[in-house]
Amino acid sequence: MFLTLQDNDKRPIYQQIADGIKALIARGHLREGMTLPSVRQVAGDLGINLNTVAVAYRQLQDEGFVTVRHGAGAVIAPRTPHPADRAELLKPLRTALTQWVLAGISAPEIEEAVRNELALLQQKGGAQ
Amino acid sequence: MTAPTAMELYVVINALIVLALGYCLVKFSWNQPLRNGAGFFMGIEVPSDFYRGPGRTWLRSYRATLVAVHIVLLVVLGASFVFGRPDLTPIWAGGWAILYTATMTTFAVWTRRKLGANPPVRPVALALESRRLGDYIFWPLEAFAAALVIYSWWLQLRQDGAQVHWLTPLELTWIALGLFVMKIAAIRTGYPLPAERTEEHYRYQDALRRNSVRTLSAWSWFIVIVLLGTTLRRISPLAWTAPGLWLTVAVFLAAWGYGMLVIFRGQRLAATMGRDLRPAGSFATPYRRAIWTSRSYLTWFAIWFGVLMILVWFSIR
Repeated sequence: MFLTLQDNDKRPIYQQIADGIKALIARGHLREGMTLPSVRQVAGDLGINLNTVAVAYRQLQDEGFVTVRHGAGAVIAPRTPHPADRAELLKPLRTALTQWVLAGISAPEIEEAVRNELALLQQKGGAQ
Repeated sequence: MTAPTAMELYVVINALIVLALGYCLVKFSWNQPLRNGAGFFMGIEVPSDFYRGPGRTWLRSYRATLVAVHIVLLVVLGASFVFGRPDLTPIWAGGWAILYTATMTTFAVWTRRKLGANPPVRPVALALESRRLGDYIFWPLEAFAAALVIYSWWLQLRQDGAQVHWLTPLELTWIALGLFVMKIAAIRTGYPLPAERTEEHYRYQDALRRNSVRTLSAWSWFIVIVLLGTTLRRISPLAWTAPGLWLTVAVFLAAWGYGMLVIFRGQRLAATMGRDLRPAGSFATPYRRAIWTSRSYLTWFAIWFGVLMILVWFSIR
């Protein structure tokens, strides 16, 4: 399974790594107990700084997506409903919807796009 | 059956090894610049009409360099026999490997300078598979090789007492250690994968990695066998009998043959798997230079190679 980093993405690399791993967890590609490659391996393969990868892993750990054990590395944590504030979760959705509306995309098209994205996440037993 | 003299042994080994190695290397390297298809020269993307124009000169220069290296080496080898120093053959063999690698690497660097390197692949993909040393290295076999090296040293020190012939064993041990470090580096080295045909690129990169480890292991074993063989020859009268000598030669040749087989099988595998894939590995990745061109790796290699050269200089002095 692969994580893709886009060169035209405005997010910093550590954020792309963290978001990419979260997307793979949401789609069910990364399941509980699976081990992520070491910080050294990821940094070496991509040719980036160790700290960049460490920051991404720390963010995933802080958000409860992975647990870091000595000797075992970063392991995908059990999937429990994430205790997040719904109002907070709505913020990025609202921003994205605003951009879509401003881009002139109609409401039915937006609804269809959201349904497609959800279907993609539900494939392979991702989101329940 | 009489025991062969040292000169006879060198002649037999050279006739078998040098001619076979030279022929195979030239044969395998002859079309290497075209390994990625007609749209590339040594992995660098070139215009479609390149081989109808300047490409022919480039290809001719490459082949002329290849032949020149081998002619120089054959002349040096001939000179060592003419001047009565066939004992320098092992050093010459090391010199062959160094001159061949250095010349071909210089040619590749020169090509990139003149024709322009491919830009690093973008966007890139990362395989989320853990790569552990144990997935590539069989530790009991490594431990066995280390035990043989220690045993050779123990035999050497026990037999020779105050007059320890330490130079050759030290050279061989140093080479074996260097090959082990290179093996670890080969496992840890990876390139960012292209986002297109990622799965194929991943399998190709992993196959190349496994092949590098296999090749380095085969040559480590060759070195260990040579170390043990030379030690036994020094301490055991049995090794000086005709069967003992021919057995030693046969074991050396078998180990050498296996090493060559691994190299050529790897070359064929790489050619088959990489034929349709756009070259992804380069001197630069999107974020920094390739690991093997990094300062830390080059510093390590310079130190290792420098010490080896000092040991070689002492042994031919």
